Amino acid sequence: MSIKNTWDEINESQDDDLTSLLNTSRLSGISSRNPLEKIRKNLLLNMILGVLICLVYVVVIFYFQIWQVQLCTVLVLLFSVWALYTAWLQYKNINSTVSANSPVLDELKRHYRSINNWMNTQQRVALFFYPVSAMGGFMLGGVSESGKSVADFMSKPMVWVALIVALAILVPACWYLTRWMFKYSFGKHLRSLKENIDALETAF
Amino acid sequence: MSETEFLEQVRLNQGIIYKLVGLYANDTEEKKDLYQEIMLQAWKGWPSFRREAKFSTWLYRICLNTILTQKRKPQPVTYKDSLENISPIVQNRVVENEDAVRLRRAIRQLPETDRAIISMNIDGYENSEIAAMLGISNNHVAVKLHRIKQHLGNLLTA
Repeated sequence: MSIKNTWDEINESQDDDLTSLLNTSRLSGISSRNPLEKIRKNLLLNMILGVLICLVYVVVIFYFQIWQVQLCTVLVLLFSVWALYTAWLQYKNINSTVSANSPVLDELKRHYRSINNWMNTQQRVALFFYPVSAMGGFMLGGVSESGKSVADFMSKPMVWVALIVALAILVPACWYLTRWMFKYSFGKHLRSLKENIDALETAF
Repeated sequence: MSETEFLEQVRLNQGIIYKLVGLYANDTEEKKDLYQEIMLQAWKGWPSFRREAKFSTWLYRICLNTILTQKRKPQPVTYKDSLENISPIVQNRVVENEDAVRLRRAIRQLPETDRAIISMNIDGYENSEIAAMLGISNNHVAVKLHRIKQHLGNLLTA
């Protein structure tokens, strides 16, 4: 039997698992598992949480009348607003619908680019956040625990050394943790997309 | 264009989805997930379906674009000798003959993009149509097809 005939036989075969899924009532209830759709949902969730966190920052600014803490919190708040804005732009630009008009190679590249853009933006935003939030948290914790003013608390050289050490450890640790989490979530998928792009672009 | 008309078109061409999903899914759960995702993407794209193109070609492209951009489980590397145990994805099917099972198994061992190219070729698409669907040149398709057929031949005779 030729390959064509054998293939056609597969084509005509039925699949009970799948046939049961083909009906009108099911169609409206399907939710997408497309990675870009997951990223969109993730961005939406981030934005909702971001707005709530910004409200908390506003409360902190008015509640803690310590100018150094207020300054750090205002900076974090500004970064948060900027992060929210970039998240909103990305949310609007990510198209999670698979195109029937684009060739496979273009579609693979679009997915690869969109996921990478999202990851890179998140990492850049995070790099701004970590030092300022670590500094604010360090001062707030120190002042609350010691009962001193920020100026008194920060007057000792050892506290500055501790702050620098904390920043030197926490910032890279958080950045690498973020990278690892992205790699864990999307690493295999990105590798697979890249392999398929390379396979289509090379003749052999 | 109603949902009923859409489902009728899919029903008439569902062999395309079954076959392509069967070439990429690694277990029953993934097979269902891919199928549902294809259905969803096809339904979302249905309003933009231009009737000058054949529905089967349109659906083929949706299937490939959806499957290849979907996050999937890694393919298991263990190969079974027994035809009954080849893969969970052939369960619940009308019993296929040994040639069909062997062909499916051989194609599943090819790299992902090669599976797409060979399936389109056996389905009767011209090299120019395959090139347009994949976004590569005709020469590129011809070179790849030559190599894939050699590879497939080796897998089938092994």
